Amino acid sequence: MWSFRRKNLILSFALLMSVFLTSCSVNSKGTGPGDSVDSAESGNSAESANGSEVISSAVDFDHELDGYEPKKDHYNFYFTYKTVHPWWDAVALGMEDAQRQYHDKGITITYEYMAPEAASAEDQKERLRAAESKDFDVIGVDVADADIISPILDEMVDSGYKVMTFSSSDAHEGCKRIAYVGNTHNYEDGADLTEALCKKLDYKGKVAILVGSVGAPCHEERAAGAKDTIAKYSDMEIVATEYDMDSVDLAYDLTLKILEENPDLDGIICCNMSNPVGAARAVKEKGHDAVIVGMDHDQEALHYLKDGVIYCLGVQDCYSIGFDTIQIAVKIADGNQPGELFKEKTDEITTVIYQEDAAVMLELLYGED
Amino acid sequence: MKKHITKKQFIITAIVGGIIMMATVIINTIMSTRQTTTATNEAVSEVSSFYLEAMADRRAKTVTNLIRSNFDHMDKAVEYISNEGIESQDELRHTMGSIKSMLSLNRFALVDDDKVVYTQYTTYTGGSRHPFLSDENMDKQNVSTVSLYGSSKQLCLAAPTHDLEIAGKPYRACFVQIDVSEIVDLLAFDDDGRTNFGIYSKNGENLTETELGPYISHHNLFDALNGVISEDDWNENRENFLNAVEGSITFNANGAEETLCYVPIEDTDWMMVVLIRESVIQDRIRSISEKSLSASKRHIVFTLSYSIIFFGVLMFMMKALFNKDLQEEKENSKTFRSMASTDSLTGIRNKHAYTEAESALNRRIMEKDIEKLAIVVCDVNGLKIVNDTQGHAAGDKLIKDASSMICEYFSRGAVFRIGGDEFAVILQDKGYETIHEVITEINRAIEENIKKKEVVISIGYSELTPEDKLVRDIFERADQMMYKRKQQLKLMGAQTRL
Repeated sequence: MWSFRRKNLILSFALLMSVFLTSCSVNSKGTGPGDSVDSAESGNSAESANGSEVISSAVDFDHELDGYEPKKDHYNFYFTYKTVHPWWDAVALGMEDAQRQYHDKGITITYEYMAPEAASAEDQKERLRAAESKDFDVIGVDVADADIISPILDEMVDSGYKVMTFSSSDAHEGCKRIAYVGNTHNYEDGADLTEALCKKLDYKGKVAILVGSVGAPCHEERAAGAKDTIAKYSDMEIVATEYDMDSVDLAYDLTLKILEENPDLDGIICCNMSNPVGAARAVKEKGHDAVIVGMDHDQEALHYLKDGVIYCLGVQDCYSIGFDTIQIAVKIADGNQPGELFKEKTDEITTVIYQEDAAVMLELLYGED
Repeated sequence: MKKHITKKQFIITAIVGGIIMMATVIINTIMSTRQTTTATNEAVSEVSSFYLEAMADRRAKTVTNLIRSNFDHMDKAVEYISNEGIESQDELRHTMGSIKSMLSLNRFALVDDDKVVYTQYTTYTGGSRHPFLSDENMDKQNVSTVSLYGSSKQLCLAAPTHDLEIAGKPYRACFVQIDVSEIVDLLAFDDDGRTNFGIYSKNGENLTETELGPYISHHNLFDALNGVISEDDWNENRENFLNAVEGSITFNANGAEETLCYVPIEDTDWMMVVLIRESVIQDRIRSISEKSLSASKRHIVFTLSYSIIFFGVLMFMMKALFNKDLQEEKENSKTFRSMASTDSLTGIRNKHAYTEAESALNRRIMEKDIEKLAIVVCDVNGLKIVNDTQGHAAGDKLIKDASSMICEYFSRGAVFRIGGDEFAVILQDKGYETIHEVITEINRAIEENIKKKEVVISIGYSELTPEDKLVRDIFERADQMMYKRKQQLKLMGAQTRL
């Protein structure tokens, strides 16, 4: 009898653990707020340990072109993005993979992929105006500032240019751009990371937000998600919100300043790829114990994650963003509109990873063992 | 004093010597096999080290040549572009496509002053993507590897373009990117993948992601070897890597000894590391050694068996020989004994033989083991006179004639010459039963001889009585009777001293 009970107990425990672990480290793929998976809720360090398979598929390097038959044998695109930064280099690699696959099919894809050294909507505006004068099949934009760029895109579309948005930031809702490929759930990503932080802090404490570039939709949306999440908990307080302009150095300086002004700071929410690096450098340098949550796959940030300086990171699948951008650009160039061939918004996944996932991600992305 | 070697000593010496000889052969064979194995191992180790060093050196040169060749082609490409009078980006892309096919330059790219990268198909801002395009590196030749976001490692060769202008725009540098896996394939082609190798950075990082044997695998070389080799060796090799000095490391991992050699690759700060699993070689050698040892064992067993059989046969033959000798010795002894018991003149048994026979009969008389026994005593008449008058030869002839006569008549008895002219006959069984007839016949013959002046013998005899204790008792009675007979014969005309 005792043995039977013990067996039942073990089986029940195993079943419980299976259900529990299966829910861990789930990709966030949002077609809307409701679809955004609660990776932050499920994701404390211990819980995500089983998710190495999921972590390994956080970035999909194994792409093949869909069955669409392009109408031309040569396409020429222009893409502009926010700033020269490794995150967009990762997107470029996905683009180059698609370009190679088209080349193998006898279709030549040429393109420009340009950005300023520092994020600037004005610079982007100038680039778009310059691109208008050239014969590009499609112009793709990672919107630097939705307020400034959205009207420009509308004008371009009205003028007959085929315009799409891609990678991190879409234009304002209602913009006439043809399609968007990239992260459609920045708000949810910000909320998920903040939820993970709140849980880690036991839902009480002082936090700071490093937003990124002023007006950059993805950064602003994540910050909004973070603020709304903090607002849910009465014992949580935002003591500082700063714009680091997607600069590691600026993020570092701002973090030092925040720590100096708020020595009892409990957490930092980082809304882009640069600021978790800057924040981690400062926190480590000061020997502070503020919990850092942030975005993306910067190699240094992953090492901070591995070392426990950063608590968790939301990793976007940049490679797939780049690959899908080229595929959809070809379809747009051929005169297709969103519908059966492609969605108006092609969303890409974000995976929240923790300390024990860092090694897998470093190997996956950078070949580190 | 001269010491004689006995047969036993000889046999013992032969056996001991044979055993020592066999043991020596076996021990020498085993030691020789082991020495051969050890010597072979050492030789192979030395040869494999030499082989590894040569292999590492050759591969390092292959990489160096690849790098130099690419730099050379890059110079030619820039010169070609400069001379083409290119006016637009489309023309530039087309020209770069031509260059790619003409010079086999992988991913050849130009970089302008704004660090915008121009390739055959794309133009992109590459400041963050290519670390080798930093301001401090752009004005000199630069060799590096990059591993960006999931892409395989790339060997990047960058070089300044020296005042290149295209359509009025200055270009500052050019570069090519070569997939490290292509270099690995090129190097692996060299020996069909028989050895493990890898290109390592000076801090021990594996740049080629090749597996350097099962233990080090693709890990950082010095992380993997930490604790496996001594701290001094570890530090020495670490220094070698930092200072681009070639060397080798032998280590024991998972029970197998492995050796790797490293050689600096010219024009880079990398090391070409080649490893061959000595365990593989040693397994092969061990296999060969085991075969050799097995052959030696068979040889030993054969030798041992052969020796045992040989010594067995030898011993058998020696035993047979010994037995034969023993038999001959017995025969000789018998002959000697016979000679000692035989009278040389008459050929019959002598006094010594009679004494032995007497002793044997005495034992039987004492044991009451004999009933039919008679002793005949014979004395040759006139021997002294013949000797004195006719010489000893005539005397000897007389003795022989007497002996022949006695033997003739007492053919069923044992005849002994017990003195110069005295004979004794021992009669038992048949001889005893016919004694009276024989005595009668011989006496008649003797009496005839007196007339013919031939040999005359005085004969007396006596039979065993219950009172007799010794043969001597019978003999004395026979002797007395013989004297009486001698008197009678004298009276009949026989010559005698009486």
